Amino acid sequence: MNLVEKILAKASGRTTVRPGDVVVANVDCLLLHDLSGYITSRVFDNEVRRPMRYPERVVMVFDHHFSPPSEERARMLEENRAFARRHGIHLFDCGSGNIHHVGVRRGFVRPGTIVVGSDSHTPVHGALGCFAAGLGNNSHAGTVMPFGKAWFRVPETIRIELSGTQKKGVVPRDAALWLTGQIGEGGAVYKALQFAGPFIKDLEMWDRWLFPLITIDVGGKCGFIEPDEKTIDFVRSLTTEPFDVITSDEDAEYVELRAYDISDLEPQVAASPTLGNVGPVGKFAGAPVQWAELGGHGGGRLQDIRQAAEILRGRKIAPGVKFNIVPSSREVFAEACQEGLVQTLHEAGCTWFPPSTGSNQAINMGAMANTEAMVSTHARNFPGRNGSPEAKMYLGSAYTVAASALAGKIADPRAYLV
Amino acid sequence: MKARGRCWKFGDNIPTDQIVRADRVLLSMQDMAKHVLENLNPDFARSVKPGDILVAGKHFGQSSGRAVAPKAIQATGVGAVVVEYASRLFYRNCFEIGLPILECAGITNFVHDGDILSVDMTDGRIHNETTQQTVYANPVDPFLMDMLRAGGIIPMAAKLAGED
Repeated sequence: MNLVEKILAKASGRTTVRPGDVVVANVDCLLLHDLSGYITSRVFDNEVRRPMRYPERVVMVFDHHFSPPSEERARMLEENRAFARRHGIHLFDCGSGNIHHVGVRRGFVRPGTIVVGSDSHTPVHGALGCFAAGLGNNSHAGTVMPFGKAWFRVPETIRIELSGTQKKGVVPRDAALWLTGQIGEGGAVYKALQFAGPFIKDLEMWDRWLFPLITIDVGGKCGFIEPDEKTIDFVRSLTTEPFDVITSDEDAEYVELRAYDISDLEPQVAASPTLGNVGPVGKFAGAPVQWAELGGHGGGRLQDIRQAAEILRGRKIAPGVKFNIVPSSREVFAEACQEGLVQTLHEAGCTWFPPSTGSNQAINMGAMANTEAMVSTHARNFPGRNGSPEAKMYLGSAYTVAASALAGKIADPRAYLV
Repeated sequence: MKARGRCWKFGDNIPTDQIVRADRVLLSMQDMAKHVLENLNPDFARSVKPGDILVAGKHFGQSSGRAVAPKAIQATGVGAVVVEYASRLFYRNCFEIGLPILECAGITNFVHDGDILSVDMTDGRIHNETTQQTVYANPVDPFLMDMLRAGGIIPMAAKLAGED
């Protein structure tokens, strides 16, 4: 069995499971954000009407609102706070950071566990050797909250092996974007994706993070990376809670093996309407942008902020461009302060925003008119997610975002790195 | 477990953000239903009748996994959804809220917008009354059929958790 199968077997009281089996498993952590959490809380209070069985396993993070933009939203957040108090769950209020980053930084995500959430990017936690999947509001309210359990169909696994060394100016996010195009939207529906190979093994934890992040957008159920010493050290630095490291058997089966050498990759950009519309930066170079952002589920990491500072140090972004920087967590902001990156990027003309999920779905920032375009480190570019359905969203690495902000149009970062 | 009505046909890769826009998710379900798929076909929410069949292409319901997307479709009165294939979360959510959904490769070539279809969940039979042709969808897992019969996951949750 691989680690997903082992975790599902252990959590459902079985010795073995096979792909296709439906199991009911104990859930270790439920992550909710301020929008999905609100919807789930209504279902739990109005339709389920049972006690919260394990409140200590339930975490709500206000990340789409760093500050409520309207009375209606203020009221919604107040209802979320009342729900959290009433049931005794963990609450991280406005300004804490992105749901997934907070979940990891505060030690709720640990190897060998089952993590679920309504946010569709929940599979990102497979980067830590968990089984992590997005479920719907009715699973959370119907089985996770009252019973601490959820049903799962054991997925088939596709193993993806990455090898090679990236050239200067090309970073792991470029490899992840490119891989989205290789697998294709809907190219891995219901599957588990195992990210492996020397390239993945050599990455630091926050760069490994970018690979299971793409799982949902190629249709997968979960993504995972085998936990190793790096994983264990990382999680031990964040929590004193014990955890069992579970790893795949040497002879674990998979339905498909895909191996790629990423050495020749160029910086990648994915343009609206979908993530599958991805290509080398040259394909989109010259397209005008008025907005740039580091933020969302994948962006706003310290690594992104460092990359932007490397390009923008001593320079000014183009007139007419607004470059918003949204740290993924309070910890990231503190680290950026310590490294002097806050001042560097401020002087380049960037604007710092509170730790949050930034303009993901444009709940409290990042809406655009039909004539506008943004380049960002966000995870998605679907029409209508950031204001007008005609507005454009380009996704790229923080290098590409910063270079494009300097040029006022999509630009190849390699021209700015010497 | 049967539905009969007009076919409303949509394309490939439609995200939940397009089924119900993010700025609509706090509306009442009755009001949300008036905005379903509004950016793609404003006539749909205005004219859909109970029992009508929503047909769409590949990876329907991708992106955010919020269950309000299938709930809003259900609130329009749609009797069944038939797609080339669905996103995993959307598919799961349909059964968890009690909205019949079938996956049928080739369905978008088999129907035209406006055709009259009848759909039977129990055997996956899809009959196009306009063209007098029949196709069969992929079989549905018995576990999910039980959930659909129960009316969704909430009515069967205690039993599922072994605490009934």
